[in-house]
Amino acid sequence: MVFNGLVRYQPGNSAVIEPDLATEIPEPEMTADGKQTWTFQLRQGVMCHPGPQTESYELTADDVVYSLQKSATTERSAYAGEYAGMTFEKVDTYTVRITLDRPLSPTLFLPKVANYSGGFIVCAQAVEAMGDEAFKTHPVGTGPFMFQEYTPQTAIKLVAFDQYFRGAPKLAGVELRFMPDVSSRELGLQAGDLDVAEGLIEAQWVERINASGNLRADVFGVGEVSFLNINITKPPFDNPLVRQAIAYAISRDDHVALFNEPVAEPVYSVVPAQLLPGGLTREEAEERGVLFEQDIEKAKQLLAEAGYPDGFSIDLITSEMPTYRRNYEVLQAELAEIGIQVNLNVVAHATMHEQIRQDVNPIVIYVAWRPNADAFLTRFFHSDSIIMTGKAPDTNFSHYDKIDDLIEQARYETDPDRQEELWKQANEQVLRDVAAYPLLFTNQVYARSTAVDYGHELVSSLALYPQITELTTINR
Amino acid sequence: MAQAAATASALAGPRLISQRQRAWRTFRQNRTAVAGLVLIILIVAVALAAPLLAPADPTAQSIRMRLQAPSWANPLGRDDYGRDILSRVIYGTRVALQVGILSVLLGGAVGTAIGVIAGYFGGRIEAMLMRLVDILLSFPDLITGLLVVAVLGPGLGKLILAIGLTIAPRFARLAHGPTLSVKKRDFVEAARALGVGNGRILRVHILPNVLGELIVLGSLWTASAIRLEASLSFIGLGVPPPTPTWGQMIRDGTIYLTDAPLYAIGPGLALLITVLAFNLVGDGLRDVLDPRSRA
Amino acid sequence: MLRYILRRLLLAIPTLLAVLTVIFFIVRVAPGDPATAALGDYASAEAVAAMRERMGLNEPLWKQYLTFLADLARGDLGRSLITGKPISEQISFVLPYTVELAIAAIVVGLILGVPIGVITALRRNTLIDDIGRIVSLVGLSLPAFYLGIILMFVFAVKLGLLPSVGSAPFSNPGKHLQHVILPALALGLIETAYMARMTRSVMMGILSDDFIRTARAKGLTERMVLIRHALRAGLIPIVSLTGIFAISLIGSSVVVEEVFARPGLGRLMVGATKQRDYTALQSIMVVYSLIIIVINLMTDIIYTFVDPRVRID
Repeated sequence: MVFNGLVRYQPGNSAVIEPDLATEIPEPEMTADGKQTWTFQLRQGVMCHPGPQTESYELTADDVVYSLQKSATTERSAYAGEYAGMTFEKVDTYTVRITLDRPLSPTLFLPKVANYSGGFIVCAQAVEAMGDEAFKTHPVGTGPFMFQEYTPQTAIKLVAFDQYFRGAPKLAGVELRFMPDVSSRELGLQAGDLDVAEGLIEAQWVERINASGNLRADVFGVGEVSFLNINITKPPFDNPLVRQAIAYAISRDDHVALFNEPVAEPVYSVVPAQLLPGGLTREEAEERGVLFEQDIEKAKQLLAEAGYPDGFSIDLITSEMPTYRRNYEVLQAELAEIGIQVNLNVVAHATMHEQIRQDVNPIVIYVAWRPNADAFLTRFFHSDSIIMTGKAPDTNFSHYDKIDDLIEQARYETDPDRQEELWKQANEQVLRDVAAYPLLFTNQVYARSTAVDYGHELVSSLALYPQITELTTINR
Repeated sequence: MAQAAATASALAGPRLISQRQRAWRTFRQNRTAVAGLVLIILIVAVALAAPLLAPADPTAQSIRMRLQAPSWANPLGRDDYGRDILSRVIYGTRVALQVGILSVLLGGAVGTAIGVIAGYFGGRIEAMLMRLVDILLSFPDLITGLLVVAVLGPGLGKLILAIGLTIAPRFARLAHGPTLSVKKRDFVEAARALGVGNGRILRVHILPNVLGELIVLGSLWTASAIRLEASLSFIGLGVPPPTPTWGQMIRDGTIYLTDAPLYAIGPGLALLITVLAFNLVGDGLRDVLDPRSRA
Repeated sequence: MLRYILRRLLLAIPTLLAVLTVIFFIVRVAPGDPATAALGDYASAEAVAAMRERMGLNEPLWKQYLTFLADLARGDLGRSLITGKPISEQISFVLPYTVELAIAAIVVGLILGVPIGVITALRRNTLIDDIGRIVSLVGLSLPAFYLGIILMFVFAVKLGLLPSVGSAPFSNPGKHLQHVILPALALGLIETAYMARMTRSVMMGILSDDFIRTARAKGLTERMVLIRHALRAGLIPIVSLTGIFAISLIGSSVVVEEVFARPGLGRLMVGATKQRDYTALQSIMVVYSLIIIVINLMTDIIYTFVDPRVRID
């Protein structure tokens, strides 16, 4: 709402990328020495919000180059890794050229310059005047709403920026309140004190809200995938038979029923086929023999074959967040069926994130959205990403190292069809080794007063909440 | 006559047996207190006989039937994992009694001792003990819990310890004020003038005068302890799943207040009855202990 | 008296220091990392490492501790690790909301609890006593968030009398007060139970006490006996209990603050705990401990006014 990118995910549908600050999406060009360049023409007359120490001024190539360079600097950005091997230069006031050491397909490149995380274009003069630290709590950009006030743990207030280049917003402002309790959010909506509120990720909740007349619940993407990561180096899980037994003990449909369709849908590979190219559909998983439908007898038999006829017991921790806790608790009951006793401890969300990165859980259930198959596979299954011991420890909780080649081959494959097939092969291999077991993805659920019109159809939002744009209205 | 006897026993040493008998008589005459005692016995019986009373396995999930409305098979309906709510309420009695009773006994005993000793002796002992109490009071419940987890790790025993630690300084401060006021009263001064030892004065004169209110409050604190269990559970101090606890059930059930109202109301009612029972007995005990109401 | 207050405040310094030291180390030993919390789980390991460096978390612990104490001695509460803003700014914004809520809740507890206690003591072992008991225990058995939701449902959604969530600035007192009522009730009803049960117990002891009998013998009316002697003598435990409630209210109001989406110290504290915002947490604790020390001091001073037998020296 505060920032723009060179390109943007269409409001309400993050599957479509369209020009934002750029006038159009350029075609990449190759240089003689094998590099790839992308040249963006900027819109003219885009104005920056007035900052605490700066006046409003016109955004130019200088600001764009400054912003992207900031994102590429490790000390200043959490996303620097994404921008390695990229250089940014100003061609003229309204032209920016980006050069990539290794060519990337549009699918992998455009998100880096879109209006999300590292792709946000900031107003350079404001950042320079304020410093990075102060800028974090007082953002200055070019979007339809500008920052007004932030109260820690309570609220953020934004006001309309009348000089917004797509036209003045129809709303006077937006107040974002932090309210952790779902029941009070619902009552706040019913009492008319709130206009839009995050709901409960559950089909029953959606039905109830929609039955109440003056409220409407929207179910939209992007879906976050929940899946098991099994540490293939830790006994007894280093035995493939034990991992297979676990896979056969799980009922994917039961996990889905915790949330129910259309809020949740089953997935058959860690990359969700419904949402991203490179994932496996149910049919594809079945064809390739990696479906693993629940079969308690077979699971028990496999466990006995592995030398554990009476099962064993393990200690796991889970976050207190429902999407985690519920899946862990159902897993606990499923594994109890085949004689594996799970001692489950509930810990704070931050604690869980730290502990699982220190290899505390031999089975990690993770809930994540990643923008493409490459990000999913690299971060969860590339040997560099192995927690503690990898070259760049990330979230490879399985200690899996058997698809490095496939991932790298797919990353630099510029033919989309071949790229997709390579990703599918990688997914298949992960499943064959039962390094992971994909459960489901959960969509986002937000309720609103029927008086609220977002100004676009809500299909998916990368930010995980509905976008409020210059076209959003409230008609009471 | 009765008063003369009381004074005599206080000065000349209590005849324990007769005192105990009299106490039991006083308690027995209090019909509401006896009702409370009967309730407590029933609750303990429920906790012990949980496997016989519960219609279903409290941990058996059937996700497809989650949040199902009450029926003959599931009189309170099913929870968000499709588990039988009534069975979970029944089994939940076990944790509730452990957490409610043990943590309050622990916190109450330690806290009262600190408060009374500080108030009675005064001077440096008082300053030191009450500073300690102030330090303990300065930690909000959550931080005390965090502290215990960080040092000792999770588990039911540690949970009880953490809640006891939260409650103890409160008892200490509550015991401290009245002690200050009681110790200045004639009968204490008289006992001291007669050369009665400090330990005796504390036991015979101070404690009974202070204990009445503390017992009443302690009976209420059992409810707070049971509720605290739920709020500590999300920092890793709770009772690990799938063990049912009332606090956790009320917490989770609140989300489904309109879909499955009995999810929260069932354990809430159980908690109310338990606190009521403890409070009835607490009030009765208070009457027994209060030397003034013996007259 | 003034000397006593000064001495108590001086004595509070070691208490404060002990609390701070424990807090400082405990929050850092507890698992969880502010850099990960600040950046989200999407951030790469390098980014987290860079953030830790920038936050000064790689400095030796004793050095961080000394810096913290030195800043504190100069009256500087430092900056939040997560937002980079001065913590004093955040605290001074939320503190009035918290104090206001605590006072309102205590008023609710006293207004409802003391009369229920007195009446049930006078009508001991009658139906009125039983009803009073059950009514006050219902408030105690319901967790504050449950109570808050029910109150909100009845008064904001069904009756539309009061606002449901949020808060209004102090500059708009009418609207502002409307927002305090429901949260204060949700918190105060728990206290009511304690207050009512304890007042009853104290009153019963006093009513059978010698000086009340003397007063009655002197021919004072029942009402005079009640007001002049009984209530006054019962004040000590009530004052103690109020003091303790004031303390726990400030720490435990977080649930109600979250349900009603109010700003507040409890919320700030829990938020900082969740985000492992060490600097914010330890500074909030400084303020929190100071408040507790003041409340305890006030409680002890009030003793001397309500019961002349207690002398402080």
